[in-house]
Amino acid sequence: MDIFTGLATVLSDPILLGWVFLAAIVGMIVGAILGLTASAAIAMLLPLTFYMEPLPALAFLYVIGKSGRYGGSIAAILFNTPGTAASAATQLDGYPLAQQGKAGKAMKVATISSVIGDFTGEILLIIGVAWIAAIALKLGPPELFAVYFAAFIVIGSVIGKSVTRGLASAAFGILVSMIGLDPISSTERFTFGNFDLTNGISLVPLMIGIFVLGEVFSQIEERGAKTQMVPADKNDAARNGLTWAEYKPCIPHVIRSSFIGSFIGMLPGLGSAIAAFVAYGEGKRRAANPDDWGNGALEGIAAPEAANNAVSGPSMAPLLTLGIPGSTIGAILIGVFLIHGIQIGPTMFLTSRDLVFALFACGLIGIVMYGVIGYYGAAFVGRFITRIPTQVLYPIIFLTSFVAAYTSRGNLFDVYVMVAAGFLGWGMRKLHFNPAAFVISFVLARGAEETFRQSLLLSDNGLMIFVTRPIALVFLLIGLAAMFARVRSLNKQARAAALKDA
Amino acid sequence: MSTQAAPAARGVGVALILIGIGATVTSLSIDLDQYGRWGARYFPLGGSITLVVLGLLELRGAKVSAPTDRRHLPAIGALLILSLAYIWSISAFGYLVSTALAAPAALWIFGVRNPIGLLAAGVLCPAIYHGIFFVALGVFPPLGQYFDLLDVIGGY
Repeated sequence: MDIFTGLATVLSDPILLGWVFLAAIVGMIVGAILGLTASAAIAMLLPLTFYMEPLPALAFLYVIGKSGRYGGSIAAILFNTPGTAASAATQLDGYPLAQQGKAGKAMKVATISSVIGDFTGEILLIIGVAWIAAIALKLGPPELFAVYFAAFIVIGSVIGKSVTRGLASAAFGILVSMIGLDPISSTERFTFGNFDLTNGISLVPLMIGIFVLGEVFSQIEERGAKTQMVPADKNDAARNGLTWAEYKPCIPHVIRSSFIGSFIGMLPGLGSAIAAFVAYGEGKRRAANPDDWGNGALEGIAAPEAANNAVSGPSMAPLLTLGIPGSTIGAILIGVFLIHGIQIGPTMFLTSRDLVFALFACGLIGIVMYGVIGYYGAAFVGRFITRIPTQVLYPIIFLTSFVAAYTSRGNLFDVYVMVAAGFLGWGMRKLHFNPAAFVISFVLARGAEETFRQSLLLSDNGLMIFVTRPIALVFLLIGLAAMFARVRSLNKQARAAALKDA
Repeated sequence: MSTQAAPAARGVGVALILIGIGATVTSLSIDLDQYGRWGARYFPLGGSITLVVLGLLELRGAKVSAPTDRRHLPAIGALLILSLAYIWSISAFGYLVSTALAAPAALWIFGVRNPIGLLAAGVLCPAIYHGIFFVALGVFPPLGQYFDLLDVIGGY
């Protein structure tokens, strides 16, 4: 019932609706611009939201995340380059359809499927989140540490191209978060006598550096590359309507993929790209027309789009119930919660219940808004993006990142941190490290350390407490199993590739 | 542990080991708590040793990889130098003058050569950013240590 109160709150506030509408448009454009992601936009806009009320601030960034995931499909279909990693699977069938002059049809399928997937994820979140929070309240420090441990391992090993470099990224994130004063004993750690470092590294400039400035560095390598849309001809309008008969075969794929995306979304760190590819693979396996997939099958767009958007809602579940961000967007939203003095975790459903459900309501309204805008205006957004000169856009983003990093605490040291993080982010991408694992681990490390040390106090310094408590043991094993499964799968792929080459 | 040879495996492996060793030594110098317990050292040590182990694994699995593309390194180096110079210049000469210089420089690095465009960026960028962040949002601007245009034009 809380969600209806939330909906009433949001619908009766035109300014809040205005923010949600703006977020739907900004997210769609940002998601469709090559190289820019919703995470980058959210990190850059984060300092602006410090001056807003908590609900509009959270709603604005949350809806940008949702709409940005959808916006990636516009670039995948029209430019043959996914705007976000999550829409890479959409490109497989989206671009062939665009080449057949059916880009409009493909985008309508992507829009409807994204909306259904996102709604499914959001409703599952609304139904399940308070329930998970109630369970989370019963977990003690050893169980929570085991959840953190599993999250580190899964985030480090499952996403990215290299397990060792993914795990190293997570370890770097832990080490960087240790800089400053130890919260329990106030001992200096990794400060090297520098006064600025005693305050620790702030999350906001770190994220702006990794996601925004790092991308600007990467885009230098793309200088001069022009975004080109698939040319349209006169007969395209006739081919671009979408009938019920055409969409009907997509529905089983959309439903299945929505649940796949929702499930994957609940697991910390996996994200929408993995959900989209799992849904695509599963859809193709079960399809009546598997040979058409990859050559312009509408179902091949519906499945990944439903899955990658279904991730959005459930990825908030670990953040809101355990304080563990399930995605980079979740990690960024932690900054907003903290700045507004809202303690995230299971107690949030006792202290800020109205805010949480109003945020979910904003999510639902945001889905409707980007759905309507996308259905009727995706082609316009595509044309608009081709007119944005990237050699002007990225210098503007470059300058904005400096002022945004400064704004967070009014401190030039943070701007140095942002530049260092930007260069590090570029280097990490270049060397196949995992910037998302780095940032999420940075966010998780303090909580993990706190629960680890509390557990040691409980057990009088005995590590066996993590093994003798069954829930803790299960989570530790889940983490290790995920890592071994990933190593096995990569080795299998490497062997298959070697055999193919031979 | 990847399907394709990750770039610079040996270099990355050695770097991870060296950083890990350095962090381990630094972690061991973290003070113990008043009861002589290692509480504040556990996580820094855990992270550092993990890096050493991962560095060794990286070296063990090192394959010959394609050379990394170095064509854009001068431009990336230029942008990094501009970034550091921009921050130093903000602390020395304030936000307005520094941004008036940094905006055309950034555009130049990205390939913009139109003199009117560069000049316009030098004027408009500081004015717009100053208006949004330091006037509309009320953030206190970073003032220059040696000179600040805000002193000349009369506050913000």
